[in-house]
Amino acid sequence: MKQRVLTSLMVIAAGLVSALLATMPIIGQSAAPKAKKSTYTPPKLPWGDPDLQGLWPGTDLIEVPLQRDLKAGERAEVTQEEFAERQAKAERTAANDRVTHVAKDSKVGINPPGYWLEHGIPQKITSLVVDPPNGRIPELTDLAKQKAAQAKQAKQGHGPNETWEDQSLYDRCITRGVMGSILPVIYNNGTQIVQGPGYVAIRYEMIHETKIIPLDGKPHPTSNIKSYMGDARGHFEGNTLVIETTNFLGDKNGIGLNGGGTPHSADMVLTEKWTRTAPDRIEYTATINDPKTWVRPWTVRMPLRLNPEFPLYEYACHEGNYAMFNMLKGARADEAAAEAAKAGKK
Amino acid sequence: MRKTLTLLSTAAALVCGSLLLMTPDGARAQAAPAKAVAKGPRMTDGKPNLNGVWQAITTANWDIQDHSAAPGPFWQLGAIGAIPAGQGIVEGNEIPYTPAGLAKKKQNKANWPAEDPEAKCYMPGIPRANYMPFPFQIIQSNKDILMAYEFASSNRLINMGKPVEAGSDTWMGTSNGKWEGDTLVVDVTGLNGLAWFDRAGNWGSDKLHIVERYNRTSNDVLNYEATIEDPSVFTKPWKISLPLYKRAEKNAQILEFKCVEFAEELLYGKYKKQPTK
Repeated sequence: MKQRVLTSLMVIAAGLVSALLATMPIIGQSAAPKAKKSTYTPPKLPWGDPDLQGLWPGTDLIEVPLQRDLKAGERAEVTQEEFAERQAKAERTAANDRVTHVAKDSKVGINPPGYWLEHGIPQKITSLVVDPPNGRIPELTDLAKQKAAQAKQAKQGHGPNETWEDQSLYDRCITRGVMGSILPVIYNNGTQIVQGPGYVAIRYEMIHETKIIPLDGKPHPTSNIKSYMGDARGHFEGNTLVIETTNFLGDKNGIGLNGGGTPHSADMVLTEKWTRTAPDRIEYTATINDPKTWVRPWTVRMPLRLNPEFPLYEYACHEGNYAMFNMLKGARADEAAAEAAKAGKK
Repeated sequence: MRKTLTLLSTAAALVCGSLLLMTPDGARAQAAPAKAVAKGPRMTDGKPNLNGVWQAITTANWDIQDHSAAPGPFWQLGAIGAIPAGQGIVEGNEIPYTPAGLAKKKQNKANWPAEDPEAKCYMPGIPRANYMPFPFQIIQSNKDILMAYEFASSNRLINMGKPVEAGSDTWMGTSNGKWEGDTLVVDVTGLNGLAWFDRAGNWGSDKLHIVERYNRTSNDVLNYEATIEDPSVFTKPWKISLPLYKRAEKNAQILEFKCVEFAEELLYGKYKKQPTK
């Protein structure tokens, strides 16, 4: 169910954004601006590293699509009119969330009410993908296309609830993968940085991940050690934390929301950069370099805001995964009912 | 500066020691352990630096009380699956259960391994997280302290600022820390009571209150003590203690142990579609 809600929400969001963009005049704007050199100097920790600590949730950016609408071309930002529309929409959403009673004639559905979901702040950026300049995920390689076709074929005549393996790694509460853990989604977007001498740790709220990044320059383990989240190594370039992550399990998680999208390969190299640009701002970029999956590297950028009041909860996903029991039990009950009907016992 | 601090704390310890000697019932003052002076590195503010990868070397995860060697539940594993004998970590070895508390412990044990949250890959809770056969890493900042455990990617942030009240109950609880001299004292509440203490079924409820004391007694040893209090399960508070050892390998690090997929057959197996005859 969670999956269905999510999918329909994403479809609705994508539809709204494209509808908005379609009605707006497109004005000439430069391509994805290069990451601006920040002149802000962040405070230093007692041991000398730039202080990046704090809660940097992605909540503000929830409504920004990962990929840009095709109609926006190379425009990195929306027009003033489009921005006004986004603001108006946010106000409508907020008003909707304040409604305490449903209207008499409203349809009853299985989806949670709107106020269950978190909402962002209207943004000017047109997409989280900033490179290629059209804000679109690059084309898949022939190998990746072939793998996707095979995976689709393997699913033919199977599912949807024969085993837990019919669900995504996210719905199984295993992981959302290295990018799915930080891309903003409908709720629990907590991201927290904690630093100790020689280390940076990043906590991701949903499915409780901790990425521990040693700064001592030691090499990655051998490729015999692979994991969903990969092996991270970091260093500071000036005030920017640069993290290189390798040693991934391939063909598991994608780079999309909650780890969806085309799975990356085991050979992906992820380069993330964290730069504080103001006392309450940090710029995060991630460059995905996986020649086995995409024909060129691509980059996601998120301007994040410090929110010391953000409540980061223990997200005990697997421990509370009653949905998995219920989906499987429900499917077996349906089968038993069908069987009984066939046998004429009913 | 570090030397000055060490000297100061040594002096403080000496003063405390002599005070205890002068106190008539000093010998019975067990609630106030002597102010230990930490060894090993220090943070720039002089506090002990507990950063590192730590791991218990103990059979406490099998049973926190003394136990003999025993066969494991799966004969197919031969000696690999056998339970090693072990000296417990409970001070005095006895856990002061209420009759109902003890009955539940026995029931847990009878339902092992299927009902052990460890088998299900659930978060281990406190104190079990600290003595599982997996390493954990302490990331000690100039503010809060993060403990990241390898098992099930569980973690907890120890709030070193103004103490916060536990919100909703959680597996890993709400941790408020403070320094008492060189000892990191962590007060844990808000535990949901679903975690077990070991594979023998020892347990506590959602009324658990745990006070942990971390003391670095040498560069390689972080002494761990926890006072466990839960009036609904125990007749009085009791204590566990064990050393945590620093993983000294040059490349020591936490690896990924996402055990959900190792537990799915156990949890959901009976609900999957059976092959049609």
